[in-house]
Amino acid sequence: MSLMEKLGVLTDAAKYDVACTSSGVDRRGDGHSTGNAVSCGICHSFSSDGRCISLLKILLTNECIYDCKYCINRCSNDVPRATFTPEEVCTLTLEFYRRNYIEGLFLSSGILENPTFTMELICRTVWLLRNRYYFNGYIHVKAIPGADSEVIRRTGFLVDRMSVNLELPTAEGLKLLAPNKHRKNILTPMRQIQNGIQESRNELVLYRNAPRFVSGGQSTQMIIGATGENDHQLLEVAQSLYQKFELKRVFYSAFVNVNEDKDLPALPGGPPLLREHRLYQADWLLRFYGFQAEELLDEKRPFFNVMLDPKEDWAIRHLEQFPVEINRAPYERLLRIPGIGVKSARRIVAARRSGSLGFEHLKKLGVVMKRAVYFITCNGKMMYPTKLEEDYIVRNLTCDKDRIRFGSDGMTYRQMSLFDDARFQRQVTPQERFQAAVGQF
Amino acid sequence: MIVYQCEDSMESIFTAIYRAYEEKSRPEDTKVSLTDELLLFAESVPVETDMEKAQKVARTLRKTFGEDDYFRICMALASSDPEKGQAVYRTIALGLRNRCRAGHLFDDLADEHIQHAFSLARGASREYDHLRGFLRFQEMDEDRILYAKIGPKNNIMEFLMSHFADRFPGENFMIYDENRDLVGIHPTERQRRKREDVPWMEGVVQAPWQDEVTWYLLQCEGDLEQFSELKLSDRELAYQELFTYFCHKIAIRERRNLELQRNMLPLRFREYMTEFQREVSRMKC
Repeated sequence: MSLMEKLGVLTDAAKYDVACTSSGVDRRGDGHSTGNAVSCGICHSFSSDGRCISLLKILLTNECIYDCKYCINRCSNDVPRATFTPEEVCTLTLEFYRRNYIEGLFLSSGILENPTFTMELICRTVWLLRNRYYFNGYIHVKAIPGADSEVIRRTGFLVDRMSVNLELPTAEGLKLLAPNKHRKNILTPMRQIQNGIQESRNELVLYRNAPRFVSGGQSTQMIIGATGENDHQLLEVAQSLYQKFELKRVFYSAFVNVNEDKDLPALPGGPPLLREHRLYQADWLLRFYGFQAEELLDEKRPFFNVMLDPKEDWAIRHLEQFPVEINRAPYERLLRIPGIGVKSARRIVAARRSGSLGFEHLKKLGVVMKRAVYFITCNGKMMYPTKLEEDYIVRNLTCDKDRIRFGSDGMTYRQMSLFDDARFQRQVTPQERFQAAVGQF
Repeated sequence: MIVYQCEDSMESIFTAIYRAYEEKSRPEDTKVSLTDELLLFAESVPVETDMEKAQKVARTLRKTFGEDDYFRICMALASSDPEKGQAVYRTIALGLRNRCRAGHLFDDLADEHIQHAFSLARGASREYDHLRGFLRFQEMDEDRILYAKIGPKNNIMEFLMSHFADRFPGENFMIYDENRDLVGIHPTERQRRKREDVPWMEGVVQAPWQDEVTWYLLQCEGDLEQFSELKLSDRELAYQELFTYFCHKIAIRERRNLELQRNMLPLRFREYMTEFQREVSRMKC
């Protein structure tokens, strides 16, 4: 099998893994080996599904002894199988990296022989890459559940990020679709990595050159829509992962039905992309905006609103807390206003120190006015006479055509057009008609 | 009104700022202009670039406003806006007058000059972030030199060079900015030592803002035939093909979303990117 064919097979097998970020580590080049890392991550390209290509995302092998029903590489599937040698992975990574195609390597694998053997293979590949090929860029590997903790530990000192896939949020779902995987087996390495990171951090305080263990943090992913969980359950799971396991990221992957199995749902409308989108929005609210999962969803309303994003939805249900005065509200309150993000909230707090802010400034600070306008005041005044009323705001937020017509002060969201029909309301006088006909004398 | 007329370079604008302070001009009545246009009732002062003065200004800015804000100022000056000198000058003047602490120079975004300088810096650094990812090197036959061509809106060559010099200390690489006929050259340490052996490094002037000299900038005068003569190495085509195939394979057909792809990766970058140049259909998929 040529390298090209192998790359094709093993990329195909790896593409359903979501995590393709290269963030979390800031590491300057050391002057002789190849590579550095930037904490915000770098996207190198975008594929035709709009997802970022940042890492060389491949499997070491797509042979697998497990039979997970959602997975394209399950052992009962008849697909072409291939395995990279560690040297092939190293050369590919380095040659791609030199040409600035990628930011590093994302290495996952099917289970060959047993979990420990597979993890050992991954570990050896990464070791070669770091110590024989002198690669100093970003490396993200999967920790294989059930592998010996010693191998996972050794790997952790070589890589920037590790992840263990939770796959399905509940133990029942896992039992149904992935009979060879057990929740306990998945959570054990997760806990081990968490403790390792903590230890390494403590050691770094004492010794500046102590080896770093998974310095970019760990992440996980959940499949959305393969089993019957609702959004509320998913968000609760994500929140407890953030709090109890100190994960850096939880990724959500809309289920793509690649195997026709009787236990899998049919998805005539394609993968549940909107649901995935709403979950990511809520995920951001949990991590950066100080929201709790219980505030966004509860038992009675277990699914996200299709029309409104989770923050708008929350604001609509808590109108008693609005409007918020931009010039006085604390940072935490500003963060909860729809249309204001982390950056614009910070800019507002910094800018209002030197003078009070008006609506004309807010737009320049990056506030999305078409969403914020219903919820804010500047110096006690609202921008336009709007009603603080649920139906009214929902109607305006969801329907573009019905947006309120703004006054003639030059600040409007309407697209400019040649025929400015909004102002075209005055009756034409006979005198003007006459002038139009004969011209002005 | 005094108008300081300078060239479109960071050094020149910093010199102008130095002179404005030296001559104690009031910021409200002073303009730092990059064009030759004359203002009525204004005194025009042509500024000659003075490295020493520019260095002094740079040092002061770094010390008073901190590395982050200094980086923003540099980014604003890398943009292609003709008004950038004025915006940066007024921002700095305000910052010095109000005794801004480090990291707070751009706080008062309600001010039009600060806002202008800030948005210029944001535009340039966004393009820098893009190009750090979207730039593509090709391996040349000669000495395994890596060569990349870019066509950015802002003059961000210096930032790109220092990023890639940090990333690839062991590579000979060069980046060519089509829009400005500017070439950045990074020889490996070995090459730098035996400098006289390398013909293209004669007459190269060292860039002024680096701590340690690892790369050079070269302003070309439309004489770039040397580059078109360079041949790709044998392996280069194979790796281009591999990567194009990878990009094709990594996409999930069920999630196809070309609009999202276009939002994230604007078309103007694609003409320089390997994976959008090669035909996918030609290869067996």
